[in-house]
Amino acid sequence: MAEAVAETEQKTTAEAVEDALRVYEVGYHIAPTVKDEEVEKVVGGIRAAIEKSGGSFIAEGAPSLLKLAYQIEVRENGKRTRYDRAHFGWIKFEVTTEGAKAVSHAVKNEKDIIRSLVFRTVREDTRAKMKAPTLREVKRTDTIRSSVRRGEAAEKGPVSEEQLDAALDVLTAD
Amino acid sequence: MNNILTQNDIRHVDYKDVDLLKQFVNPHGRIMGRRRTNLTAKQQRAVEAAIKRARFMALLPYIAK
Repeated sequence: MAEAVAETEQKTTAEAVEDALRVYEVGYHIAPTVKDEEVEKVVGGIRAAIEKSGGSFIAEGAPSLLKLAYQIEVRENGKRTRYDRAHFGWIKFEVTTEGAKAVSHAVKNEKDIIRSLVFRTVREDTRAKMKAPTLREVKRTDTIRSSVRRGEAAEKGPVSEEQLDAALDVLTAD
Repeated sequence: MNNILTQNDIRHVDYKDVDLLKQFVNPHGRIMGRRRTNLTAKQQRAVEAAIKRARFMALLPYIAK
């Protein structure tokens, strides 16, 4: 009797874990051959897959064409195609563990998506709010100042009122 | 601890922050050790996971040069 109760309790906790919503993120590369107008259609397919598995959206990064760090090789209709650029976008969403598996499977089966990644993350914005430091920061004190030559400064010395008036007279005489 | 993440108050490391992650790889594209990065063990693990995700998504190279 007690064993049966314990067993049912265990089952309910296991179900609760499965049903618990977790935050995931999907990152994807859409083939560069897909036109800009059709990219949104592909993203719509990912959104539909998330909604179908009972997920809700948290944040999204619109796809943009970028150069890849290395070429991605994809098999298409028995042919190998190499891509060196792709439309990269991401979506953060909340779903159950089973739902996440379904989303991952759906994204992988999408023919226009050349690579994708689904992983657990946190609800908060994870992007770093910092500007990456450059190789060498140029300090303001490094700027070169034009120094007055000692000889010239000594020759000129302080100018008296009379000398200044005389110089002005010479200038205004013309 | 004097490191890039603590100095800039970065709590989460995102695989999309390629410029940040580049601070933790050497010119060959290899992940630097803790002695070089000065990160805590927890931060080092987070950076390592983010770099590996970025590599898979072709945002960072597996090997460079």
